[in-house]
Amino acid sequence: MKTIGVDVGGTFTDLALCDVGNGEVVIHKVATTPHDPSEGVVQGVREVCARAGTEPGEIAYVFHGTTTATNAVLENKLARAGMITNAGFRDILHIGRHQRVEHYSIRQELPWQSRPPIARRHRKTVAGRLVPPTGAELVPLDEAGVGRAAEELKAEGVEAVAICFLFSFLNPAHEERARAIVEAVMPEAFVTTSSSVSPQFREFERFTTAALAAAIGPKVRRYIANLESALARLGVTGELRIMASNGGAATARMVSEKPALTLLSGLAAGVLGGRWVGERMDRHDLITLDIGGTSADISLIREGRFAETDARSTALAGFPLLLPMIDVHTIGAGGGSIAHLDRGGAFRVGPRSAGAVPGPAAYGKGGDAPTVTDAHVVLGHLDPEDFVAGDLRLDPEAAVRVVGDLAGRLGLPLHEAAEGILTVLNANMANAIRSRTVQKGLDPRGFALMAMGGAGPLHGAAVAQMLAIPEVIVPPYPGITSALGLLTTDLKYDAIRTQFQVSDSLDIARLTEGFAAMEAELAGLFSADRVPAERVRTTRTGDLRYLGQGYELSIDFPSGALDAAGLDAVWRSFHDRHAAEYGHAFPGSPIEIVNIRVAGTGLLRKLPGLAAPAGGSLDAAELRRGRCLFRIGGRLTPCDTPFYRREALPVGAAVAGPAIIVQQDSTTLVPPGARAGVHPSGSLVITLGDAA
Amino acid sequence: MTAPDPTTAIDPVTAAVIQGALETIAVEMGHKLMRMSHSSIIRESEDFGAALTDPTGSQLCECRMSTPLQSGPIPGYVRHILKVVAGRGDAIRPGDVIMHNDPYGGASHGPDVAFCVPVFHQDALVGFSVTTAHHLDIGALTPGSCGIVDAVDTYAEGLQFKAIKVYEAGRRVDPVWQILEANLRAPQLVVGDMEAQIMAARIGAARFSELIETWGLAAITAAHDDLIAYSERLMREAIRALPDGEYRAVTHLDGYLDDPDPGRRDLPLVVTLRIAADTLEVDLTGTAPQLPDKPINMPFEGTVDCAIWLTVRSILLDSVTFGHIPQNAGLTRQIRIVAPKGCLANPDFPAPVIARFCPGNQLADTVMKALAQVAPDRVSAGIGNLRVASFSGLKDGRHWVHMEILEGSYGGRQGLDGMDAVDTLYANTRNNPIEDIEMHLPLRVTRYELREDAVAPGRWRGGIGTVREFTFLSDGGFSMEGDGHSHRPWGHDGGADGLTASVTLVPADGAPRALVSKIPYLKAKAGDRLVCLGPCGGGYGDPLARDPEAVLHDLREGLLGPEAAFADYGVAAMPAGLDEAATRAERGRRIVSPPS
Repeated sequence: MKTIGVDVGGTFTDLALCDVGNGEVVIHKVATTPHDPSEGVVQGVREVCARAGTEPGEIAYVFHGTTTATNAVLENKLARAGMITNAGFRDILHIGRHQRVEHYSIRQELPWQSRPPIARRHRKTVAGRLVPPTGAELVPLDEAGVGRAAEELKAEGVEAVAICFLFSFLNPAHEERARAIVEAVMPEAFVTTSSSVSPQFREFERFTTAALAAAIGPKVRRYIANLESALARLGVTGELRIMASNGGAATARMVSEKPALTLLSGLAAGVLGGRWVGERMDRHDLITLDIGGTSADISLIREGRFAETDARSTALAGFPLLLPMIDVHTIGAGGGSIAHLDRGGAFRVGPRSAGAVPGPAAYGKGGDAPTVTDAHVVLGHLDPEDFVAGDLRLDPEAAVRVVGDLAGRLGLPLHEAAEGILTVLNANMANAIRSRTVQKGLDPRGFALMAMGGAGPLHGAAVAQMLAIPEVIVPPYPGITSALGLLTTDLKYDAIRTQFQVSDSLDIARLTEGFAAMEAELAGLFSADRVPAERVRTTRTGDLRYLGQGYELSIDFPSGALDAAGLDAVWRSFHDRHAAEYGHAFPGSPIEIVNIRVAGTGLLRKLPGLAAPAGGSLDAAELRRGRCLFRIGGRLTPCDTPFYRREALPVGAAVAGPAIIVQQDSTTLVPPGARAGVHPSGSLVITLGDAA
Repeated sequence: MTAPDPTTAIDPVTAAVIQGALETIAVEMGHKLMRMSHSSIIRESEDFGAALTDPTGSQLCECRMSTPLQSGPIPGYVRHILKVVAGRGDAIRPGDVIMHNDPYGGASHGPDVAFCVPVFHQDALVGFSVTTAHHLDIGALTPGSCGIVDAVDTYAEGLQFKAIKVYEAGRRVDPVWQILEANLRAPQLVVGDMEAQIMAARIGAARFSELIETWGLAAITAAHDDLIAYSERLMREAIRALPDGEYRAVTHLDGYLDDPDPGRRDLPLVVTLRIAADTLEVDLTGTAPQLPDKPINMPFEGTVDCAIWLTVRSILLDSVTFGHIPQNAGLTRQIRIVAPKGCLANPDFPAPVIARFCPGNQLADTVMKALAQVAPDRVSAGIGNLRVASFSGLKDGRHWVHMEILEGSYGGRQGLDGMDAVDTLYANTRNNPIEDIEMHLPLRVTRYELREDAVAPGRWRGGIGTVREFTFLSDGGFSMEGDGHSHRPWGHDGGADGLTASVTLVPADGAPRALVSKIPYLKAKAGDRLVCLGPCGGGYGDPLARDPEAVLHDLREGLLGPEAAFADYGVAAMPAGLDEAATRAERGRRIVSPPS
């Protein structure tokens, strides 16, 4: 069986074609086609097949990571959408949480007011009201009013409709009835309900999620349909699977129905790729650090599982999203990050970036601001001899010039300034990792740092040293981890129900029924996707908090019928998690189960290991030696540093730092005191010493 | 861009690294406090603060999630704790946790209780880790800690904690906790929140110690000096760029509109700015005298100073333009505040202050009105002030108390309309989700949307307030501290004044009653409904200069009707769009002979 992973990035579309039988992988890159990304995808699929000598008809699955939905929101290119909501609550989307984005600003804009996903004129209200705790009907739905609203929306040229009623997470009946009425009036429109997008409490967040789902719906649906037919024309008869925000894949059918699944999927594949690389080495506790040109993405894998964000921390372009999403933390730090003195004279690196154009000064394409890449050039880490990205050659003099200017303003010698740029950037990343680990009661020293992305391997060791992480892993193809990650996905669907049950008055039957109903619902979805029952796995979790709190922790629940003993174990693990995360537990307080969830996974065959590298000897791998500067014992010291060609390094070889290891898509920096070796799975492992 | 300060004793790289680490600590404190706390005023409204200070109370960093009115006063809390402890002949020791809420000793007002954990390094006090938070009940005369608009002195406002050790050298001081349990309504919530505050402050202290271990105290101190110098440099330059001179502005508080004594109504707030080179004097002389037995006096430290500092930085160093600037002594050093003793803005003990929320924000607005004369491109027209409502009752023998901050709106800004339905100036809290309120409390929200036909015209229109209705599902009570029922937010440069707020009680069985802006505890019956109209900010610039397309947009969005479009803006609309000829004719006519 052969599969293709295709990941669309801002500049390049990356592809990996894999023969699942023998683990052979062919990688390929084409330029992204922003006007219609499916063009680049189809071109890439055609080319990677040709390179691999594979007929498109042999491909069983195409796994695809797309930013179509994300970009539509970021660029505010949304469909004209309408909303039907409760009388008296027309402006939930506009009022939001009545909080400003910035504390200290008069001239700020509030995204939910300055670029609403649904304009007020298209927000229609109808009588009807459900009330807690069960979602009982207080005021019946004005069905005639819904019909009139749909007629109005149709006349206004609306293409998509979000139906959003208060307390629909307890009882979707009004929303479902309204959906049927709207669909009858507007058969062409994309219609969604807030309870089907995310049946969770907090109306602003849920309505906003539904509004965005509606506003991207038509575009995503068209994109998927176009791509499917273009792939068919190419002769691909296999199935298209789309990467979803939750860290799993979804079928094209599912994404066309629930496009919101892809709203935040852009970063998920890289995490999966990192996890897969770790698994090949029997490393299951990982911090993945994926550094590109403008940003660094950080995520955590514990015992082989990635984390999901909590419902209150997920946002896109300033809009909250109530969706299961793989937890990736992004900061503005990358190879193109610009070092500067800000208005107050403080030394900053990023978040502004030189991007791909004009890029760092050393790229010689007109960039005149000192970037992180320029700092590496000044210190000798990147050498014009090896650094070839496209047809680009480094211009070291330009790097020295721009870093030198900055050094003058900082009052520092040239090399101190260059190293300072790296130190500030690395510290930013270390702080971000600290906020994902130490702040949650996790010790980063128990993890390996997976350094990915074009620039990750240049910074991995230094960031790890700041956090006392003992080991850094550099995957075989650090720059293409997302495309590989796509080849490791399973189908994944989630279900959620709000419970609001309290531990001291628990209705166990209701809890068991809730889980069972969700499991049945997911079984139906997998069966519709023709996944045999024996390939489906489900896991239960609950969102728990102490009664009165507003933030929940995700706790595992046992499978099958629940009993008192099983629940005692759940409460105990909640107290333990609370103590671990926050440093304190309230053992006497009742615990509230806010939501229960089931995650269903339809297992797919995936990429086995990559073929082991077949290098010769360390000597043969050495390209040359160069003069690089490293801080040793507090002083910047010139070191005679060997440069190795990565492909030529043999398994088991021990490289003593300082050393630089170069490959086509990345450069790895091994600092003084550290040692690097090649693992049989093809990854580099850097073991850090004490010579920080 | 400015050259770095040559006097700084630390290299810029180390400074940047330490400052990043400090900010990370403050964020962690706030993150944990929000997640651990039990009452919605902290976890949803985010009415809390978290900061680290040096041993004198000078601020090193504050949590970005916290609300300005909570973090701002922290240095004052610490200074007064030091003073009180020294005055007693006591000392601060490792393992102490100190509780403080004295509004005549740095606190913003009594309900904002600080817990302060000292940090020691090699047996020397090197700093403090502090959290503040608004507590639901502090043992005042009526339930809840807001809407106490009739306390006669500070003793009536609730318990006063003047540097009380709740842990002494690591040991819990049980009697203090027993007093709290016995004197606070809803103690399970309030004490739980206090414990969460202590845990968050202890985490901050532990991280602070680790940072000192890593970098050494000298480097931390140098990084702190560098941060202050940084903030100070920016503020000095911003003030220097303004024309020297004296600029005065006046606004009015409602006061007690139903009080027979005219001295308690329509109280002036007067701000005179004196700009000379890089210094700014804010003189409040002329502001109404204090009300000796009504709690809308403003603590000079903790409310008045914070309101002024915050407004000045939000205008002169707007974070949209300037990015993140650390809040510390550097931002405030060159601002001198003058307030005559015995005025509303500098009351004498024991004049009550618990309901200082609205006056403080109105003072912030008055400062903006004065700055509008020298920085018109950076201000908004008058803001719609915030209000706080407190709902309470007994359920199964236990008190329930719920606080809700009612949003205001901003005035128009040069090039931008005012922000609608939002917290203004010195507070930045969040509303409670309707679905959270109704799941947990015997209240129903029956309406929450924008007001219609309530837009202050201007070339850039004022922001629009909300209409928000609450219905009691069981017998209980409510109170409210509000303002802005009798004075409209100011329009700027030809923009119209904004619209006032109002509150109407619609009893289940009786005629609606309009209420004044200060409502002491009032009983309510099941079915009674409270209708709150929020204020609308002032307009900015001549409405006749507003882009007709923008008027048409507001019309289509249902914010105003065709009559208002014509009357207020001279814009004639037809179903298909703009009637350009009629609009041109009408506007031309009015510019020739403006309506009187």
